[in-house]
Amino acid sequence: MAVQTDTAAVHRESPAVRWAKENLFSTWYNSLLTLIFGALFVWLGFSVIRWVFFEAEWEIVRVNLTLFMVGRFPREELARVWVSNFLIAGAIGLMAGAAAASAAAAAKEAGLPFTQSTPRNWLQRFWPILLLVVILLQFSQTWTPTVLTLVTIAIGVGARYVGLHLPRAVRRWAWLIVVVMLIGAYGALSWFGGVKWDSWGGLHLTLFVTVAGIVLAFPLGLLLALGRRSSLPLVRMLSVGYIEFIRGVPLITLLLMGIFALGFLLPPGVDPSDVTRLIVAITLFTAAYVAENVRGGLQAVPKGQTEAGQALGLSPWKVMRLIVLPQALRAVIPAMVGQFISLFKDTSLLVVVGIVELLQVSSIANNQPEFLGRGLAEVTLPFVALIYWVGSYTMSRESRRLEKKLGVGER
Amino acid sequence: MTQENVYADATRVRGDVIIELQGVDKHFGDFQALKNINLNVGKQEVIVVMGPSGSGKSTLIRCINRLEKHDAGRIVVDGVELSDDIRNIQEIRRETGMVFQQFNLFPHLTVLDNITLAPRQVRNVPKKEAEELAMRQLERVKIPEQAQKYPGQLSGGQQQRVAIARSLAMQPKVMLFDEPTSALDPEMIKEVLDAMVELAESGMTMIVVTHEMGFARAVANRVLFMADGEVVEVGTPEHIFENPDEDRTKLFLSQIL
Repeated sequence: MAVQTDTAAVHRESPAVRWAKENLFSTWYNSLLTLIFGALFVWLGFSVIRWVFFEAEWEIVRVNLTLFMVGRFPREELARVWVSNFLIAGAIGLMAGAAAASAAAAAKEAGLPFTQSTPRNWLQRFWPILLLVVILLQFSQTWTPTVLTLVTIAIGVGARYVGLHLPRAVRRWAWLIVVVMLIGAYGALSWFGGVKWDSWGGLHLTLFVTVAGIVLAFPLGLLLALGRRSSLPLVRMLSVGYIEFIRGVPLITLLLMGIFALGFLLPPGVDPSDVTRLIVAITLFTAAYVAENVRGGLQAVPKGQTEAGQALGLSPWKVMRLIVLPQALRAVIPAMVGQFISLFKDTSLLVVVGIVELLQVSSIANNQPEFLGRGLAEVTLPFVALIYWVGSYTMSRESRRLEKKLGVGER
Repeated sequence: MTQENVYADATRVRGDVIIELQGVDKHFGDFQALKNINLNVGKQEVIVVMGPSGSGKSTLIRCINRLEKHDAGRIVVDGVELSDDIRNIQEIRRETGMVFQQFNLFPHLTVLDNITLAPRQVRNVPKKEAEELAMRQLERVKIPEQAQKYPGQLSGGQQQRVAIARSLAMQPKVMLFDEPTSALDPEMIKEVLDAMVELAESGMTMIVVTHEMGFARAVANRVLFMADGEVVEVGTPEHIFENPDEDRTKLFLSQIL
């Protein structure tokens, strides 16, 4: 007994030390690898920190911050961007609040437990965006953007509170209020003598093209997927033909065709702006891939599901809408979000047709007289890359969260 | 000596006819799954269909609610003849419940939503009323406490009972069962058969494809023996199980016993 107590005392180590011993230094070659990679990581981390905080000339980003954010958006109209941000924050907050309230009510009705999300949850979900905002704000030369960002956040939080406490009857129409607010956000930018989207730019334009692309490509892709399975031969042929044509052409070709070759297809007198043409091209491109993803999901739903719906007397359309599609779309969330992440990053291809989106700003800034020839792309490109990464990573994490919530994989 | 088989003609029933099949044929490519089927089913009658696999039992009942389209002959359900008109088909499907071998519950909906879906969407029953109706059906199959769960959280026997409740919620005039206990673990078969016996005793018209002879003896009015797409023999359970006339029936029974 006494001997055992002694051994226990000798082996009393902190869990961290034990973990390191078991995983990092279990054998002599494992120890060697640990040391080599450890040195590599330390050196890498040190280099990055030294570069970021001491060597990189961030002046180019500081001076051009507005250009990176909104491109050539007229500076005297910038207030419109902020008003639009306020409305978007309000819409998102209201939607989140109303959704949480509905979920809580549904859980209560079903007698199931429900925990409200806390600020901590939100921090865990959106820390990359928050980090980006902080980085952007410290580049700013005045306090105005910081104050306005805080106002935006305050509006979002406030709207969420309102959404949580809406009377039940009003909550049912919350989505309508949200849609009106989002239309308002667009209107604040371009109505009443505002700025049309041809003059937007920078991150603002990148986000707009991404959102427009997703919102338009999703329903079109859905229709194409259903068309591909239609019992009408003509509809089926058109859908297959469209999907296979688009998937056989590189996006960049479609973008160039949108600018230079679309004229053949348009009636005379109709001459959409370049940004409009490119949104159309991106939408048509993404829709074909969305259609293939959805088709995969439709095929994954067992035939018995359709038969059970039919046997109950549901119409073919209701069988599709209430039984097959919900299961099919759930199954393809990961693939679909992957497609939308691609879309977000592919907006950088607009650079080749001369649109002032995020990536283009980088080369514009480097061609300014004061920065020309100083090789500062080494500063602006990582900066742009960080912004893309934050957007992509957030989408990817939200998709995983949605998957979990909808219980993909557990039937 | 052996009694005369009063049911030897499959079209002869007591009382009112609710399902009528005349000269029904069905092909899958070159394979003929049903050959000249003639069958009448009376109101409140329970018919058990037996036969080796590939004999056309499932195809027969799947033709009745048009999950399969028959190639020739007539099928009349409750006075409505099946045609290619989708409204006509849906009218028959509304009156005809079906329970599948693989349950086919909707995995993305709770048990309660599985059951209320069709009454609300097809019959426009208000939500509250549909939920009360659903709870009554769940009580009937003895699992009201599972209403808020998802199908994936239930055992096979419970899932099949939910499937029965889901069909009953449409208040059908006829129930079709396609091997309802074949996919179940042995210890769960009884709970499903109990629900079916209760249903039969309540006067539901039922056509059941199954090899459960105990069930057939307990509630079937007639047993239909099929082979190679044909009705080989019809009779009371006693007649089919104890004194079958046909060699194919005898062979089959000797194999499943």
